[in-house]
Amino acid sequence: MRIQRWSLLSLCFLLPLATQSLREMPLWSAEKSFELGNLIEPFDPPPLAELEKKTEWIDQPVLDGMEVMRAYLKAKGKPQLSVKQALALHNDSDAHNGQILSTLGQLAPADGKGVDFDATLVRHVSGDLKSTNPLLISSVTEFEFQGLTSFGYLSFDRDFHYFAPTETVVSWQTSKDRLVDKFILRDDLTWSDGKPITARDVQFSFQVIMTDAVVVPAVRTGTDQLRWVEAYDDQTFVIFHKRALATNTTNLSFPVIPKHIYQASIAEDPRMTTSDYHSRLEDHPVTGGAYTLVKRVRNQEFVMRRRESYYRHQGRQVRRKPYFKEVRVKVIEDANTALLALKGGQIEEMILRPEQWASQTGDESFYARNTKVTALEWTSFHFVWNIKTPYFSDPRVRQAMSWTFDYDELFETISRGMYQRNRGTFHPTSWMFPQDGPEPYHQDLDRAEDLLDAAGWEDSDGDGIRDKVIDGKRVPFEFTMLTYQSQTGIQVATLMKECLDQIGVVCHVKPTEFTVLTQRVRDHQFQGAMGGWGSGTDPDTSTNIWVSGEGRNYGNYSNPRVDELFEQGRHEFDRKKRAVIYGEIHKLLWRDQPYTWLFYRNAFYAFSKKLRGYNFSPRGPFDYSPGFDSIYKPAAAP
Amino acid sequence: MLHYLVRRIGMGFLTLLFITFVVYGLVRNMPGTPLTTDPAMMDPSKQISAEEIQRLEKLYGFDKPWYQAYFIWLGNIARLDFGKSIPQNNKPVGALIAQRVPATLILSVTSLVLTYLLSIPLGLWSTVHSGSASERLVSTLLYMLYSLPSFVAALFLQILLAVKLGWLPLFGMTSDGYDTMSTFAKTWDICQHAMMPIICFTYGSLAYYSRFIRANMQEVVRQDYIRTARAKGVSPRRVIWHHAFRNTLIPLVTLMGLTLPGLLSGAVILEQIFTWPGMGRLYFESIGQRDYDTIMGLTLMFSLLTLLGQLLADVLYAVVDPRVTYH
Repeated sequence: MRIQRWSLLSLCFLLPLATQSLREMPLWSAEKSFELGNLIEPFDPPPLAELEKKTEWIDQPVLDGMEVMRAYLKAKGKPQLSVKQALALHNDSDAHNGQILSTLGQLAPADGKGVDFDATLVRHVSGDLKSTNPLLISSVTEFEFQGLTSFGYLSFDRDFHYFAPTETVVSWQTSKDRLVDKFILRDDLTWSDGKPITARDVQFSFQVIMTDAVVVPAVRTGTDQLRWVEAYDDQTFVIFHKRALATNTTNLSFPVIPKHIYQASIAEDPRMTTSDYHSRLEDHPVTGGAYTLVKRVRNQEFVMRRRESYYRHQGRQVRRKPYFKEVRVKVIEDANTALLALKGGQIEEMILRPEQWASQTGDESFYARNTKVTALEWTSFHFVWNIKTPYFSDPRVRQAMSWTFDYDELFETISRGMYQRNRGTFHPTSWMFPQDGPEPYHQDLDRAEDLLDAAGWEDSDGDGIRDKVIDGKRVPFEFTMLTYQSQTGIQVATLMKECLDQIGVVCHVKPTEFTVLTQRVRDHQFQGAMGGWGSGTDPDTSTNIWVSGEGRNYGNYSNPRVDELFEQGRHEFDRKKRAVIYGEIHKLLWRDQPYTWLFYRNAFYAFSKKLRGYNFSPRGPFDYSPGFDSIYKPAAAP
Repeated sequence: MLHYLVRRIGMGFLTLLFITFVVYGLVRNMPGTPLTTDPAMMDPSKQISAEEIQRLEKLYGFDKPWYQAYFIWLGNIARLDFGKSIPQNNKPVGALIAQRVPATLILSVTSLVLTYLLSIPLGLWSTVHSGSASERLVSTLLYMLYSLPSFVAALFLQILLAVKLGWLPLFGMTSDGYDTMSTFAKTWDICQHAMMPIICFTYGSLAYYSRFIRANMQEVVRQDYIRTARAKGVSPRRVIWHHAFRNTLIPLVTLMGLTLPGLLSGAVILEQIFTWPGMGRLYFESIGQRDYDTIMGLTLMFSLLTLLGQLLADVLYAVVDPRVTYH
């Protein structure tokens, strides 16, 4: 009986709350009415003839990414070794690494002679493909899938120079006032269902991205800086910008979806995930790139096949034939299993973990089928100091932190010589790094102690811990360092703690779950934290890290001169002049030490010995042009 | 019995409400939201504006207090809408879970059946041969197996059976040419892929269950009624099977009841090592990604199965023990 009474009481309590909530809500069912492009401010594009009449155009490069790479490799000179010799090498020194890369990185002849066009490549990814829809792209796996299957009208080379690819574009022009970009597409482009790819698809995609009910935050960011995209005919589209900025080029490109496929269905299911029609499209997408999806087994693999209608049009070859007949992508989350699969020949390339590079890929079980290469990647790691805490508001304290750290121990013991010294926010090999760039810090405890003394942090009560009177209270220098839960993260933070112990500063290392760590730093709820950044294609992408009040300025750094310089950089179009601006930013940041910059992490890759033509950009071997396109299998073994 | 069932179901319903309320409160109060680790938020080259973040938070209901959001979730559940997974591109949670069920069941049901088929005879054999050299050897082996972490065993098995001998596939659930195989070949293909995960799933519980049965049997065989049966000249086989084993069934049935949620919970590490698309990884990932609806969908499912398992065990008591009746 008691149970029944409780049940009734509970229901009396719960039901009104539940029904009230139901009336207020639903999160998912009460979607707003669909209005295509409702986030776009009203704009009336001029007729094309009028635009042509009043605009002075600057021609922009329309290039073949493969030929750009060919010219780059030619300028570097001939490889020192034959392919056979390179394949016999063990990659155990910088010299061997350079020899393997320069030899096996050579491209196939322009006419494709010697390429095994019937070959299949088995790739590896560590996370599944969540969506095949280019607008829903978010993770690395989706970027790699879209790289092979999607249509694009803008690309960039290994030095991050943007160009329009000859595969899809006839011409690209920018108005002299930098407010308008005009593209003319080729007329021999088709979707995988045989329908032509036109400028109307580009305009439609822009409108879809800029629709409130369509949830695509990743692709809307940047695209929302465009004023309008107008398709004047099937081949010509013009992009109007809101402001004349150097960063306009990076915003020009957004994913394109086929208008004829989505225009009738998008209003009914704006998230493109739930209707039967969109669910079917997920597994059978209409693609515009060199490959098309032929098989998808969730959480296991997806398979793409070369699309004849991509490189042949009306019975003749109009584009370079993609090198692989089929690309299978295996999803293997566990790094050990992936390495065993690589050694067993079940996958043909993978990213190696530093410990795999150092200790699990040096014997014949690895070299029997594979080789490995490492290359510079602009991925940097640091300690970020929260300037709004009493400990790190004084730049002298932050400088003291940087003089305290034992870099030799980091590079010789923890990283086993695989990382490089970090020299600030921009990579030393980048165009924005200043000519008289700063030299890296080294451990100098005397200097660190002098700086802390000067900043007022002294051991006044003789307890071995430095302290300082702040707002009438004696505050010991004792803070918490958040770090991620990987072995390297914990080792590096613990090393810092041990170093700080020697100068009377107490540091508590707190390994923290990634999501918690991310949220804490985003909310500025930390004192010190370890972190890392990859690189964007333009230094302006660092604005959100360094400009006062920006979202990724986790340490609350604020320097009006830096803010001003970032704004200047955005309005300067000449790369040399921009380099001077960003060089000054680099030096100011180095002086202020809002971070203690630690190390750059290289790219570590393993490739099957059957593969050739891989080269690296600062963002790895795939994320640039030609990237994946240049990789091939030769028809004959060396 | 009917009255008892109604009361138990009522209690179960309240327990479910309590569990889901507490879990919802916990997950909503953990630092971070599904947007925190969204790749769109992590891309260093782009920054989603504060207005866009606010818009998304409103859209997903993160601007509401958690207790209010709980009742919204509850209301949706009442209409059999389990919500959508934000990190999985708004895929319906029901479909996401359904996708993982077959793979999870292949491993768990096979493993459970194997465990019982092997552990009961092994437990009984150990009882009969208690104290003998062979029994001690088997016990030692079982203890060793019980102490061996499954992820270590998995790695050894992979190296031995897949890499060195090439007898079994290294990872995944199907081979490349699976689509073109005959039904028999497809079944055999899945069996081959499942073999190593099943071995890893099974050996630990085999050791545990057989020791559990042996321990219970040791207690029962010392009872007076067993001595009486033996004195009456009942055959040793019948004494063990009919008189002793039946009386050890009650704790075994409790254990069986508790394994019901385990059938669908999967195993995080083994699924990751063997690239097996099971439920464990889904749960683990959804917690890391603060995928509220998926966490709650799985929590509800596991809670429901736990309660059902307990109810089933209680009902089975009456079946295996005539002394137990419910009013």
